[in-house]
Amino acid sequence: MIAYNSKELDNISIQEEATAALEKECITAEEHAAIVAAHPSSLYTPNIFMRIGLFILTSIIMLFSSGLFALMSLGGGDEGITALSFILGIISYIVLEVMVREKKHHKSGADSALMWWASVSILVGIGVATSGDLGILAWSLTVLLLSLWFTLRFADVSMSIIAHLAFLATLFSISIRLGTAGRIITPFLLMGASLGVYLLAGKLSRIHTYRHYRRCLEVLKALGLLTLYVSGNYFVVREVSNEMFGLDLQPGESIPGGWIFWIFTVVLPPLYIYLGLRWKDRILLIAGLILLAAIVFTIRYYHSVAPIEVAMTLGGAFMILVAYFVTKYLKEPKKGFTAAGDDEKHALQRLQIEAVIISQTMSHTPQPTQGEVNFGGGTGSGGGATGEY
Amino acid sequence: MIGYVKLLLYFFPIIFKVMNTDLFDQLQKDGLISATSAEKVRTVEAGKLFSLHWELKTILYLGVLLLSGGLGILVYKNIDTIGHQVILLFIAAVCGCCFYYCMKHKPPFSRQKVEAPNGFYDYVLLLGCLLFITFITYLQVQYNVFGTRYGAATFIPLLVLTFSAYYFDHLGILSMAITNLAAWMGITVSPFSVMSMDLSDERLIYTGVLLGGILVLAAFLSEWKNFKPHFGFTYRNFGMHIFLIACTAGMCTSESLYPAWFLLEILACWYFYVLAIKQRSFYFLLILTLYAYVGLSTVVVRGLVDMREGAIELGMLYFVASAIGTAVFLISQNKKMKKA
Repeated sequence: MIAYNSKELDNISIQEEATAALEKECITAEEHAAIVAAHPSSLYTPNIFMRIGLFILTSIIMLFSSGLFALMSLGGGDEGITALSFILGIISYIVLEVMVREKKHHKSGADSALMWWASVSILVGIGVATSGDLGILAWSLTVLLLSLWFTLRFADVSMSIIAHLAFLATLFSISIRLGTAGRIITPFLLMGASLGVYLLAGKLSRIHTYRHYRRCLEVLKALGLLTLYVSGNYFVVREVSNEMFGLDLQPGESIPGGWIFWIFTVVLPPLYIYLGLRWKDRILLIAGLILLAAIVFTIRYYHSVAPIEVAMTLGGAFMILVAYFVTKYLKEPKKGFTAAGDDEKHALQRLQIEAVIISQTMSHTPQPTQGEVNFGGGTGSGGGATGEY
Repeated sequence: MIGYVKLLLYFFPIIFKVMNTDLFDQLQKDGLISATSAEKVRTVEAGKLFSLHWELKTILYLGVLLLSGGLGILVYKNIDTIGHQVILLFIAAVCGCCFYYCMKHKPPFSRQKVEAPNGFYDYVLLLGCLLFITFITYLQVQYNVFGTRYGAATFIPLLVLTFSAYYFDHLGILSMAITNLAAWMGITVSPFSVMSMDLSDERLIYTGVLLGGILVLAAFLSEWKNFKPHFGFTYRNFGMHIFLIACTAGMCTSESLYPAWFLLEILACWYFYVLAIKQRSFYFLLILTLYAYVGLSTVVVRGLVDMREGAIELGMLYFVASAIGTAVFLISQNKKMKKA
């Protein structure tokens, strides 16, 4: 099923482990070289910037070659566009297979671009052929099949994300067709499916046969946790039911059985965090931390507890205190936890990313305005986080 | 180079590497690693702790973001009431505490990189700087303490930020100082909006070239004089983008001068290319290649617009061929860099 040679993939992962061990100074450089020599891999997997570059350039190539094709077959009407889209999709797919087989591309950026281009072309072809009146169910099934194929064939992470979402969309469109009962069980069905995906992905990622899909499965685990929460979140359930089923709720009105969803909204993230710490599972922990923000958002949306700036100030102070006391508590490692970083070698690179994020989010530099008497060029709000006065 | 691949690990802590002890047992059996090395792997794995470092840092970051933002809004919402002086006093007090904490825990100054004593320190300093700026800006707006000349309102924060960045060795504050410098000179930059920088009029384009030049020079000096050489990347990153965008904008807006702008862009790209090869930085290589590609394509498209027939077909052929060429260039440079 998978397009790559299994042995080569194994060798890549052995090389990666050897590099990790080298960085932790467990093995010597000679040993590292010996391991790499004994486990060669001819797969072409360049670094992240190369991947980005190749992705952009391949997209440009595909875009303009499609343009050339379109120019040559101009005037074919809808049928012409359909045929052209299908042909382009098939050509992209063939090029992809050839690059993987002959040029040994493996997560090179070019392969992702071709994958996306092939899928989108085929979907456009289907859309034009059916004049766009395909139902949600048919669309989500088509997307599911395509992305599932790409996930299985190329172990592509982005495609596995699409597959998961398409799977939930398929379930959703089936369940809302089942009348009132279907509508009531929809959130629970989606929660159950997400939980199923989470558990199944966890199980499969421990099985040796599926080792090449480990990245996909880990992302699916994280995604399963997130969609489990989203399907049961009060805000999502209320607003989606209101839109889709025409409940015509007034502000302040709740959906029937709303309290169940309030419980999910408030209980799930702390539960994730608790389990994440208990089992030392980073995916659970991070999902829980991210979703704490969703609790705050959901509650604030319906019940304005305090003005936003007061909430920000108090919340910010609270978070700083939490971080302070946890750091203090973990000054010496306790119960297998530590507050120290585990990857000192790359600390500087991480600091550089951190710096980019800080200057992006924290300096609300003012728009320069001309002709004002005050400050030759800038306005008053300086580089502070005060952009709103 | 591996470092750069892992650059994104911060965003994907899920894929933290775990060493598989079974694998290393096997490697030992195969005679590829010595018994001591295999033992080291086992010891490291057995004693491995679950690190909460980045989770704590993220919580701290969000806390600082919310607190400084919240206080900033509070002051201005309550202006002209008695409450705002209390808030102001509170800001001054927190700010003082932050700087006191940092002074107390600060490692001695060095021209090289100084490790922060703990993960908390960096963010306390950040909070202190942000609140200080809020305070200064407030004084300026309300009482015009610093006068109106020389863009004082942005210049004083600029001084504070630059000083703190060097004195306490903080890359994040350095980046904020750079955006502040840009604001003082009259252009708005922030990392993600750098692409949509407002360079519609000529004055701003010249300012951009000047600012980019200053930053690239600062990067060069940091490394050459060996004074905080690790600041070089941050300076150069901003400087390169600003300079090359200004050149591109110059090419697009100026009718008569556009060959000159193109020449300037190509010269700059050449300089960055030599540097990227020397420092083995694939990030800079990718960025300069893309800018050079955009510059070249602008020239070609301008030429094609003047043609009457077959311009569209030729243009499309150009893009297909040139993108293939660029991809081949990147792949070969990548190989070259790996070998070196």
